[in-house]
Amino acid sequence: MAELSDVQNQTIRDEIEEYLERPEEIARFIELFARAKPALQDIAAAIIEGDDDATDSLTAQALADGIEAIEIMDDGLIGGMGIVGIKFRENFVFVPEVLSCARAMRAGMAHIEPILSAAGVEKHGTVIMGTVKGDLHDIGKNLCIMMLRGSGFDVIDLGVDVAEDTFIDAVEESGAKVLGMSALLTTTMPNMGRTIEAFIDADLRDAVQIMVGGAPVTQEFSDDMGADGYGADALSCVAVAKELMSAVS
Amino acid sequence: MNEQIAPMTSRQRVLAALAGRPVDRTPVCCPTSVATVELMDLVDAPFPDANRQAEPMARLAATAHTILGFDSVMPVFSIIQESSALGCKMQWEGKDNWPTVRMSEPIWDSPDDIYIPNDLTSHPDTKCVLDAIKLLRRDLGDDVAIIGKTMGPWSLAYHCFGVEKFLLLSLDDPEATKEILHKLKKVTIDFGNAQIEAGVDALTLPDHATGDLVSGEYYQRYLRDLHIEFAERIPCPLILHICGRTVDRMGFIAETGMAAFHYDSKNQPGESMDAVQGRIALAGNINNPETLFSKEPDDVKAEVFANLEAGVQMIGPECAIPLQTSIANLRAIPEAVQEWHARQ
Repeated sequence: MAELSDVQNQTIRDEIEEYLERPEEIARFIELFARAKPALQDIAAAIIEGDDDATDSLTAQALADGIEAIEIMDDGLIGGMGIVGIKFRENFVFVPEVLSCARAMRAGMAHIEPILSAAGVEKHGTVIMGTVKGDLHDIGKNLCIMMLRGSGFDVIDLGVDVAEDTFIDAVEESGAKVLGMSALLTTTMPNMGRTIEAFIDADLRDAVQIMVGGAPVTQEFSDDMGADGYGADALSCVAVAKELMSAVS
Repeated sequence: MNEQIAPMTSRQRVLAALAGRPVDRTPVCCPTSVATVELMDLVDAPFPDANRQAEPMARLAATAHTILGFDSVMPVFSIIQESSALGCKMQWEGKDNWPTVRMSEPIWDSPDDIYIPNDLTSHPDTKCVLDAIKLLRRDLGDDVAIIGKTMGPWSLAYHCFGVEKFLLLSLDDPEATKEILHKLKKVTIDFGNAQIEAGVDALTLPDHATGDLVSGEYYQRYLRDLHIEFAERIPCPLILHICGRTVDRMGFIAETGMAAFHYDSKNQPGESMDAVQGRIALAGNINNPETLFSKEPDDVKAEVFANLEAGVQMIGPECAIPLQTSIANLRAIPEAVQEWHARQ
């Protein structure tokens, strides 16, 4: 079993020590970074610090040094965002900091995505994502999409202010098995329930697993609406999507 | 009923609570919006007309008192009137949806781009608010508190620069962020003062530095001093509104000199009262999506009682309510306040 001292990068060691509290998460990240190549630990540290320039150049360098794109993504980019997600969940950082880290991740993914696409790496499946009708907020949805894509899902982004029929059409046309809906306003949250009802009316409710999220959304509200999954943040969104996808596979 | 206090009108009750004076009973307030589709139908004042024309706006606002029994009325149902006047791209929507700003199409990119027209308060989407306030005062007289609404610079910046861009700027360039807020405060002050001239008794000042987006330290760094300035320069009681979890910044908010803080159900009444220590009144915090929208009047009443037991000074929904909320659930708020005071 790896120890914290096995992690070479000082920033990563400090982050684990200062911000991670759950034993299973501490063990998981020590294990991950203790085996990750030093260059990938540096990429993860750059992500955590929200340094997009460093992430960009370190990712390019890692590829040039012959490290596999998928390894850079898993151990460096997603590994770093994993710690950011926990810090966000625990209120150590807030949305501006997460956006800054996401910007850094995008800088790294710009190098990785074309390589993975060209290689035809098998995806976990397709997820449709959208913010519900009447709501134009997309930060949370976009963070979820970035994490889903980084975690190996194909994502169809329907954008904001998405009508019930648009969600239904997208499911019918794509055959996607998982649909995610976001809302930031208590005034628009009911539109999630209306969309679920529209799927029932269209006789398509069994065709798709529906997950919901957004700042004011709770597990209780999700259950009341009849959603299949609820994610409190972008990290949970990935976990819920994997769970729902495996339920239909 | 408090037997030592003579019966008050709704307006007297609200103003007394905002001033920290004794009340005959706790006022029921709507610092944001209690507009619903049912109420729109009852007075023939649907969205979007009620957001853009003074007469339907006033008719719909009055229902908070005449039909629901609240002690205050609020003619500004949304948070976009000033942004429209500033030139933001708007989506006015229909009867069953809220108007919104298309924040993905921001109108400004840097502090140098900010332009506040001199005739901001005569733009049709701000002037209709001023005209509606005058109509409400004419029709309701001095018995009901009229609360107006003027948006704070943090919220205006979301609309004009885009939420993501503005939040990133707050991290990348704090000085530019402060410059933006400093320039936008003119909108808050000018529209607030125009509403006072039109006849409001108090103003809600939404400024969405919510715990769902930014830290309490952010509030202290960027907004506390501006909010102190608003309390000094806008001469009527101010009710600050910030959604989401805010206990970590309530101590700072309590230092602003504003009269009240309209708080969200993500904060428990007891912990919130402890956080402000009597330095600012609290208004709220009946849950919208899970209680007012989804449950029954008895569930609403339970939340009202919890607020009253904690000593919350003004009772109402936590934020603007979903448009499909039932009248029965909204009426349960003043009913519960009456019941609770009758038991004391």
